[in-house]
Amino acid sequence: MNNPHHLNPTSLKSRFTTRFLRALTKIRAQKPISSSSPTEIFRRYRRIKVAADKSMAYSVRSRRIWSRAMLWKLRSRSYRRQDPCSGRRSGKTSQAIMKKSSNENTTTRREDGVGFVEEADELRQLVPGGETMNLCNLLDETAHYIKCLTTQVQVMKKIADFYSF
Amino acid sequence: MADFSEQSYRQPFPFLDIDPTMESLTQFAELNPQSFILDNSAFNFQTFFPLSINDSLFSNQASQGETMSGFIHNSNQSSVSAQPIFSAKTEVEEISNKRKALDILESSSGNSSSSSPQVSETGIKRRNNSGRGKRAKSNEKEMEKPKEVVHVRARRGQATDSHSLAERVRRGKINERLRCLQDIVPGCYKTMGMALMLDEIINYVQSLQNQVEFLSMKLTAASTYYDFNSESDAMERMQRRKAEEAKELERLMREGYVGIGGVACFHSSSTYGPL
Repeated sequence: MNNPHHLNPTSLKSRFTTRFLRALTKIRAQKPISSSSPTEIFRRYRRIKVAADKSMAYSVRSRRIWSRAMLWKLRSRSYRRQDPCSGRRSGKTSQAIMKKSSNENTTTRREDGVGFVEEADELRQLVPGGETMNLCNLLDETAHYIKCLTTQVQVMKKIADFYSF
Repeated sequence: MADFSEQSYRQPFPFLDIDPTMESLTQFAELNPQSFILDNSAFNFQTFFPLSINDSLFSNQASQGETMSGFIHNSNQSSVSAQPIFSAKTEVEEISNKRKALDILESSSGNSSSSSPQVSETGIKRRNNSGRGKRAKSNEKEMEKPKEVVHVRARRGQATDSHSLAERVRRGKINERLRCLQDIVPGCYKTMGMALMLDEIINYVQSLQNQVEFLSMKLTAASTYYDFNSESDAMERMQRRKAEEAKELERLMREGYVGIGGVACFHSSSTYGPL
């Protein structure tokens, strides 16, 4: 393809696309579906969704608070999957750490004098890692998160269209 | 600004000779005749604002000179010739265009500070005659001369302690970020309040997350379907589809939609072809 309009190979979109497609091939390769039972399908759906989130988080690396939080969440979940005993331990400690840090920040996080605490809390639940951010950072992270989500949706839409003829 | 300087160049001498409290100015003149005129022009600007420049200079008039009309009155009292008064009046009218005048003040005080190291100013009080925007961050206080104690005068209706200043800065940052978000999120109007905008943002993020879930489900279905069909059929269909997509992509690019989704995706999916 001698296309003069090549996209930037280091852009977020291309990074995400390559990673996600690689993950998809892996998923399809490791388990050709034998039965179409709902559990199988659901399992595959979970894997694909996790792959999408993971590839997006990896494309952003650790540059953002939300990507770090998401990577951490994914990793702790995978550790829990692999080894139930250590998973329980690490699950507890990770929860404890999250609670502790969120407690610290809730004590320091006052009313802020700005007056939209309920909406801010709701936003914090949506954005990964949002509990530990003050309003200023939260808005910043939300903007970047929205940008990444739109990229993700665009690419996945293209792939799904391509796939489903 | 040129107008101001022109007028004040004409005035300095009569003003100086006659006004007894301006003796210190003559001292400055001796020190540096070159910067004298600049000094004077600056002082002329500043006298027409209710400034507490230096108590020794205006001690007599300080009690009366808190208003601009007070200054004009004073200049009358010191029996200055008609010219400065006239210029004072015109300058006052110009001063009533707040912003321009205040900008000139800033530049002139900048000039004076650079050219007259002897002038000691403890602070600059600014009259906010009509709400010149509540939150313009620019220059609400000016500090001069590190040796002097700096008193910061507040803008009208606002406190000066460090907490509220920090609060103001923070709020400014938050507003700026909200404005950026406003551009990104469709459906946010400037007229909406902050709470409404946050609600819109929350809805948008939720909808995007739902879209991701839905698309991953669609991909699952597509891949399952693909698995169940024969390889060759699927390949044919994919190739046909690829050709269509390529044509569509070319058309889109010709129309200028270069950024939307296409090239890198198709590049990698073309390598992804034979499964």
